[in-house]
Amino acid sequence: MKKALSSLVAIVLVFMIFLTGCGNLIGASTESEQRKDGRVQIDFWSFWGSETRRPVIEKIVDDFNKSQDKIFVKYTFIPFGDIWTKELAAVAAGNPPDVVISDLGKLKHRAQKNQVENLGPYVKNDPSIKDRFLPQAWEAVLYNNEPYALPFNLDTYMLFYNKDLFKEAGLDPDKPPKTWDEALEYSHKLDKKNGNKYERIGFYPLWDAGPDIWMVNADGEPYFDKNDKSMIADPENAEALKWIKKFNEKYGLNTIDAFKGEFGQKQSEPFISQKVAMYVKNTTFYTQIRDYGKGMNFGVAPLPERKPGSGHYSWSSGFVAEIPKGSKHVKEAYEFIKYLTDVEAQTYWGAKLFDNVANKHANDKILAQLSGEAKMVYQAAVDNLKLSVMQNMPIKAPDYDKFINPELDQALRGSKPPEKALQDAQAAVLKQMAGQ
Amino acid sequence: MKTMEAIMTHVKSKPKKKLLSMRRKEELQGYLFLSPWLIGFVCLTAGPMLFSLYGSFTNYDVTSKMDFIGLDNYIRMFTNDDLFWISLWNTIYYVLFSVPLTTVGAIVLALLLNQGVPGMRLYRTIFYLPAVLSGVGVYLLWMQLLAPSTGLVNHFLGLFGIEGPAWLTDPAWTKNALIFMKMWSVGGSMLLYLASLQGVPKSLYEAAEIDGANAIQRFFHITLPMITPVIFFDIVTSLIYGFQIFQEAYVMSDNGDGGPVNSLLFYNLHMWNKAFEVFDMGYAMALSWVLFVVVLILTLINLKLAPRWVHYEGGDES
Repeated sequence: MKKALSSLVAIVLVFMIFLTGCGNLIGASTESEQRKDGRVQIDFWSFWGSETRRPVIEKIVDDFNKSQDKIFVKYTFIPFGDIWTKELAAVAAGNPPDVVISDLGKLKHRAQKNQVENLGPYVKNDPSIKDRFLPQAWEAVLYNNEPYALPFNLDTYMLFYNKDLFKEAGLDPDKPPKTWDEALEYSHKLDKKNGNKYERIGFYPLWDAGPDIWMVNADGEPYFDKNDKSMIADPENAEALKWIKKFNEKYGLNTIDAFKGEFGQKQSEPFISQKVAMYVKNTTFYTQIRDYGKGMNFGVAPLPERKPGSGHYSWSSGFVAEIPKGSKHVKEAYEFIKYLTDVEAQTYWGAKLFDNVANKHANDKILAQLSGEAKMVYQAAVDNLKLSVMQNMPIKAPDYDKFINPELDQALRGSKPPEKALQDAQAAVLKQMAGQ
Repeated sequence: MKTMEAIMTHVKSKPKKKLLSMRRKEELQGYLFLSPWLIGFVCLTAGPMLFSLYGSFTNYDVTSKMDFIGLDNYIRMFTNDDLFWISLWNTIYYVLFSVPLTTVGAIVLALLLNQGVPGMRLYRTIFYLPAVLSGVGVYLLWMQLLAPSTGLVNHFLGLFGIEGPAWLTDPAWTKNALIFMKMWSVGGSMLLYLASLQGVPKSLYEAAEIDGANAIQRFFHITLPMITPVIFFDIVTSLIYGFQIFQEAYVMSDNGDGGPVNSLLFYNLHMWNKAFEVFDMGYAMALSWVLFVVVLILTLINLKLAPRWVHYEGGDES
């Protein structure tokens, strides 16, 4: 028995050695790949693999490689659902890629968890770099006043409305709703009913916009201020929920669900097929109107404000280019993300994909290239970005939405008064923060 | 005589030595043949499990720290995490209804398919098909079937004048919708029941018939006791799988965040969120060990209760 045990242990040990040996071999083969031409190869991961995005990013990488004789970038597409868990695993294994496109909203969290490189030392030698970005984008990549990534793109939410339907309903097509009350009033006029059944919905605020956007819109304040103090239970937020509830009551949840169930794509996209007259969407939505809504007469406006003068605030988020902790070529990787966020690459990206980029000079250049309604939409987006607020993630409750969303569900379904729901949400988040 | 003795000792001693080394050799060969499993077990099961047991007593977050914090994670779980209780309750609710319903459903289906009606093989294939088709594609299909006003399920209910619920958006119905969906894939266990039904000796039925037992009596006194070992197996395994429900909720709720009012926040989904959304890996490891203990206890209770109702033909040595 003893003998059996000892030989078992011996065998296990042998396997362990064998396996660690294998691990080292695998590690060694991908580590620091020196290319034959002497250039340093850096690995670049993103989730841009669709037929519209992939050629654009590949062209940018290609341009960079052609402009370089020291660095060579190898681009790898990793699906959206996998990329960040993969990045985490690679960082933990000490063998990460050198550049990853990642979510801006949770950058602070990754910085705190030591998953990304602090770019402070590089930016120090390069102080003008921050001037190329929109101020709120630069602000968003700072953690403890040190930059942990360079911002790449931003999105912003606006109100798209159908001018023909406005005319049909007797509304002035050049006067989109300015306030919440007006939006509600216009929606009555724009609805189209056949008996009891809705054939067209004038406006429903939660299609493609979460209640959080409207709570930001209400007072220009996210859930948490810069010091992570909660503002969830602010009275303006309750007002936003009450306003949304008016639409739920007007249409009924069944109608809303039924409509959403029938939402299609391309030509049968609800705004393009005129099933919805006003719609909250981000800038890239224009490409769908351009490609599938030939000749459509539409307008773009900032989101309506809570009451006259309260501000047409919108909500924004985006993606950053970051260097995972443990990259073997931080210096070269920094060179590459500098290129990614420079005017040339950003202009190409933004103009091709109709996406708002973080580089403000590129935004100007894109505007100069555009004309007609494309220019009108992009200009509206650039203006709208000035009113856009980003959600601040509190470091002690990175999963704050897990506590807030169920309460919002209850408030919007009418099973809890909005004020109470927001207070409960705030209490749950504070409890979580206290327990950390 | 002496030479004889010498030969004997020679024969005796020499093979003895050889025999030992042969045994050792065989022993080694045995381990060698076992090695694929051993490597798999040590490196892919036991190793990670022990690591996660240790990790559950730390504040491990994969990248920045792994300090021993004693029972803190466990204390936090029971005193300061409302989502823990919600997710545990959701999971128990699901298991409580889905296990008996799918078991009864599978037995009924197996009984129906055991009737020797023409075309039976085709029916068996059809009913087994959902067990083969599984995963994300099927869940997406069910999301369409369960759509409140455009889905086939509510359309069908509408034919009888019943207004179907908003299956996946009304928090009171979401879990029931999932249980209902699971009923669709009873084909796998149905197959087991079918096999065991065909193993029930005909002579027992004949004897009972001669004694005047009717169909219901025959079912409850012959069929059911004879298939109890399979029922037992089915209940134990589906209980374990039931507690592991994850994918369904992850796919069928917006952003995988646990559905309206957390009604689909199952235990494993909560654990996944903690581990991979906020990197609270030590805490997630503690969650997984609590689930392990819960399932272990339930399985032990099951094993303990088994002799009272499970019938083994060869006696009670289970």
